[in-house]
Amino acid sequence: MQLKKTDLTGALKILAADASVFVPGEIEGIKRFVLWDGESDVDLGGANTQLPPKDILFPCTEKMYNYKMGDSIEIKEIVEKPRQVIFGIRPCDMRSIDCMDHVFLEKGFVDSYYSRKRENVTLIAMGCTTPERTCFCDSMGLDPNNAPNADVMMNDGGDTLVLEAYTEKGKAVLEALNGLLSEGGQAKKDTACTLKVNMTPELPEKLAGMFDHPIWDEVTRACIGCATCTYVCPTCYCFDIDSDNHGAEGTKFRCWDSCMFSDYTRMAGGHDPRPTKKERVRNRYMHKLSYFHERYGQHLCVGCGRCVEKCPAHMDITMFIDKAAEV
Amino acid sequence: MGEINHECTCHGNPLVPQVVKVIKITQETPDVKTFRMQTPDGKKPFAPLPGQLGMISVVGVGEGMFSITAQGEDWIESSIKKVGMLTEAFHELAEGQEIAIRGPYGNHFPVEALKGKDLIFIGGGIGLAPVRSLIRYCMEHREDYGHIDIVYGSRSPEDLCFKEDLFQNWPKEKDTRVEITVDRGNETWEGNVGFVPAYVEELAFSPENKKVILCGPPIMIKFTSEALVRMGFAKEDVITTLEMRMKCGIGKCGRCNIGSKYVCLDGPVFNLAELDELPDEK
Ligand code: SF4
Ligand code: SF4
Ligand code: FES
Repeated sequence: MQLKKTDLTGALKILAADASVFVPGEIEGIKRFVLWDGESDVDLGGANTQLPPKDILFPCTEKMYNYKMGDSIEIKEIVEKPRQVIFGIRPCDMRSIDCMDHVFLEKGFVDSYYSRKRENVTLIAMGCTTPERTCFCDSMGLDPNNAPNADVMMNDGGDTLVLEAYTEKGKAVLEALNGLLSEGGQAKKDTACTLKVNMTPELPEKLAGMFDHPIWDEVTRACIGCATCTYVCPTCYCFDIDSDNHGAEGTKFRCWDSCMFSDYTRMAGGHDPRPTKKERVRNRYMHKLSYFHERYGQHLCVGCGRCVEKCPAHMDITMFIDKAAEV
Repeated sequence: MGEINHECTCHGNPLVPQVVKVIKITQETPDVKTFRMQTPDGKKPFAPLPGQLGMISVVGVGEGMFSITAQGEDWIESSIKKVGMLTEAFHELAEGQEIAIRGPYGNHFPVEALKGKDLIFIGGGIGLAPVRSLIRYCMEHREDYGHIDIVYGSRSPEDLCFKEDLFQNWPKEKDTRVEITVDRGNETWEGNVGFVPAYVEELAFSPENKKVILCGPPIMIKFTSEALVRMGFAKEDVITTLEMRMKCGIGKCGRCNIGSKYVCLDGPVFNLAELDELPDEK
């Protein structure tokens, strides 16, 4: 099916009737996902958003429960099941949702806060047309033209968007948009990344054997421990849990944390298993490229290039991969 | 690795704790207290297996992961050493006050695989807390296990935890020996003086049909493991627990990883052979 680009606003209006629709936009000069305001034109092309849409399913601060202190304690869980649509999310960020699904929905426990949002979100993905010079998703095993876990996959068809439903949720979307859609459409699906990285299938296993390799001294030296890389990364999911008290009441919340901070693993008695940036950067690279693969069978780096683009110290995971592949 | 049990009593949301009342506080040492907890309607909050953990909170201050050291019909207990702001808040609690707990978390000691074996429990300082949950379990199922040796050491006689168990309850048990050592004695101390690793070597255990459960400060674990290996124990037969900083307790927040493993979920119980497989970041 295809949708005329001139009908995009009309389509978004239909979707926004019973859900919050998030679209690529800009706030204070930063390209990121924004709540659609009901009228603005949406540009699905150009470079990917500078910030990933990860906060829509995993907010950077999320309230968990309220409590009352005093002689008898009361605890009241906060339950939110917002109906949300992420419109125009790219294949790399779609793969990051796949990573999050593994973490939050599998292995013994289901994370209720994530699963409630995940169940109620509709993911309408957009094939990439304009990779940046730091994009390397196809080296990480992705196809920039397709997101297999999307509800609806859109691709550019010139004057139209070519739509295909992959799930029941996706079919419902196409039905809702039926009045604006027509048969046919020729989708362009020939986007390829310009940056190629030597991510071999053997690398996760090889890295596991390189824990004590001298490479770590060299590749970790520049890092200043600012955590920008983890903040802009669509797959980084570490969080802290803390409380916010107001008199005898309060709220327990969780918020994004970063393994790049120096006190991240420091214990109450003072012992720290990762005392210097060498151990911390090693843990980050290993987690992205080896540990996660061992645990969940896929890479925790989707090749979006955001950390490469934003690191103030020019740390570059693609250069690390190439170097590690060569030793 | 121990067996995994994820029967969490969390009413569907594993990150939301249940309220419990502190029904008894025991001052074990100058800086360790044991807190007995029960639900406000007089029930056991959950039934952990030996070695499992609970995330316990002084509501409004913070939460921390502690081993459940004992349980009864309608209560569970954790022993907490004063080391920082949160644990100080625990030490200020009075009997009758309410706190909150979620769990049980983590794997547990392999109680099945230990059946029919002679057991050597080795604890250092507060490290006796996780070991105690298994000692109690074995005492309750005494016929399933062979001879039991309990070797325990602390800095000084005042720092010995669970004195009632050590000096009264356990020595009375059938086929059980309790050996205690302190780093420094005092005027009244008549027992052994010396570090745990050396004492273990002195006791000259033979590895035959034995399993060792070893918990304590990292340095003590390191030297005692080396001593045990020298004495001929296989690494598979020496079981220990790991400590890492934890937040979620359910393998999500990423805090407690060692390589691809999460200590809160895949641990805290590992044998030495399994620890050798993990990156050296403990
Ligand atoms: S963005 Fe760069 S400098 Fe900052 S923590 Fe990450 S690697 Fe280190
Ligand atoms: S590690 Fe860097 S390139 Fe990989 S997904 Fe994260 S931000 Fe993107
Ligand atoms: S404490 Fe969160 S993953 Fe272990």
